[in-house]
Amino acid sequence: MATTLRTLPHDQIQEDTWRTLRNTSPQYVTAVLLTGSVTAWGLICWAYQISKGLGVVGKTRPTMWALYILNFVFWIGISHAGTLISAILRLTHAAWRKPVTRAAEAITVFCLMIGGLFPIIHLGRPWLFYWLIPYPNSRLIWPNFRSPLLWDLTAILTYLTGSMLFLYLPMIPDLGQLGLHTGGARGLLYRTLSLGWTGSDREWHALERAMKLMAGMILAVAVSVHTVVAWDFAMALAPMWHSTIFGPYFVVGAIFSGIAALLLIMAVIRKTMGLEAYIQPRHFENLAKLLFLMSLLWAYFTVAENLTVWYGNQPHEMAVFGARVRGRYAPFFWSMVICNFIVPCVLLGIRRLRSIKTAVISAVCVLAGMWLERFLIVIPTLSFPPLPSAWGTGYNATWVEISIAISTFAAMALLYLIFAKLFPIIAIWEYKYVPDE
Amino acid sequence: MYLMSEFSDQFTLAGAIQALKLRGADAADLDVFSTEPVDLPAGLLDRPSRMSLLTVCGGAGIGLLSVFFVYWTQHNYEIVTGGMPYFSPWATGVIHFELTMLGAVAGCFLTFLWESGILRRDKRAPVPKLASGVLYLRVRCEPSQMLATGECLYQAGASKVEKLEERA
Repeated sequence: MATTLRTLPHDQIQEDTWRTLRNTSPQYVTAVLLTGSVTAWGLICWAYQISKGLGVVGKTRPTMWALYILNFVFWIGISHAGTLISAILRLTHAAWRKPVTRAAEAITVFCLMIGGLFPIIHLGRPWLFYWLIPYPNSRLIWPNFRSPLLWDLTAILTYLTGSMLFLYLPMIPDLGQLGLHTGGARGLLYRTLSLGWTGSDREWHALERAMKLMAGMILAVAVSVHTVVAWDFAMALAPMWHSTIFGPYFVVGAIFSGIAALLLIMAVIRKTMGLEAYIQPRHFENLAKLLFLMSLLWAYFTVAENLTVWYGNQPHEMAVFGARVRGRYAPFFWSMVICNFIVPCVLLGIRRLRSIKTAVISAVCVLAGMWLERFLIVIPTLSFPPLPSAWGTGYNATWVEISIAISTFAAMALLYLIFAKLFPIIAIWEYKYVPDE
Repeated sequence: MYLMSEFSDQFTLAGAIQALKLRGADAADLDVFSTEPVDLPAGLLDRPSRMSLLTVCGGAGIGLLSVFFVYWTQHNYEIVTGGMPYFSPWATGVIHFELTMLGAVAGCFLTFLWESGILRRDKRAPVPKLASGVLYLRVRCEPSQMLATGECLYQAGASKVEKLEERA
């Protein structure tokens, strides 16, 4: 890595990364229009749901949490791609992180924005979501701080604030340089966001200290956020939810899906932005190894979670377990195992097969597998509550919620496209900087 | 009055700072500007920081405020809890933890703004337009010291030394 850094001239690094901001290709415009249209369709569907009520979605008793909540968990999980991975790599001084960190940190911010929307979409009267915020209303009734819903609110708010600052802080020097060389409204935007950065040693010292502290704090927050999301389930006395390992199980799953998302996005920006000299095969190799390791860890937790349920043989838990493994949801369960374990183990575990292409294939499979895992956590448990008389006939998603769910993927792509066009996707100063050993 | 000098590498720059300090220059009068961080030997141009302390203070302050606030709201409207305590640190611990971290993050960011000088910048001091690969050293000195300081910088290896007035 150090060799590459030294052989690339500073001016070339700057030019290569700034070029992506200046040139707009027809493919880029097409991608923006396409993702924008799908996002707009999702917003129309949400408006339709608000006007007609929640009856237009497939949620029925007893499956009152469905696609929206599983997407909430999925997106919050992917958000761990950025900040958590970036913070670990920063704290361990992994030099190969440099072209990866900003792309990763941006994923976190956008995923949190999208994931945080789902509980609001899930509400019957979403315009009253501000009731979660403690404010002195006329009857002086405060929110119930003991509710996991309030835990979610504070956890996501803290994580979003921390992640935005963690993304923003190392961008300030690049914005300062861009502001000096860019005119018009865009230049004004850069100069405003750079806060008058001059590049003085006081600023660099403060930035380095702040980034170290932020990395440490964000690690704790990231782990806590997904643990809190897991506790939304684990605090309920529901079969296969009320488990002590749910917190770490969710955190492992989140890091797993986060690495997969990062691999996928890296492959896309490498190809579309012509950044092959910066995002090199070794970055994919390292992330692929991490993905493989997380696959093994995920398998361990999945076995631990399911084996204890099977061995305990509690009737209400076995109903859910049976539906998952050999019943109605068995195709989902075994697809999940193939996507999350078999595919990464074969493609990434065998050294000869490990390449950028197989890493990307594994990443796509893992993302699909982790989405299925969220589905299997949310839906079967709610379909088979402890009382057999309350068992449901199954959950069928409607076009409204499917449209909204799909549109969030388009929204994520759209936000990323806009971000990559406005800001350098690689931290230029970090890439140039080779610290003394 | 200021002198702005340019250097091509960090070793020459470190030598120049050392020479200036031996001549009695104060670290507060010296500023290095660059497009990326410069690793200078420890003790040469250290900038003392209280960022860690203020980050902890920010976290502790907001965390404690959250404990008092939640305690107060639970007693402000006494709902029927069926014998459970109004205020339960176990059940509200997550809120306190998250708000503590939020306070720490805010404390860290505000301290960054303060210590970096962004919030208290002397707008009269001239700032170089940074070029990639060039290191700039700005020296604040008395007009009577200008000539000698300039010579010292040249002797230390500066490629260019420029006299600059304060900005209006």
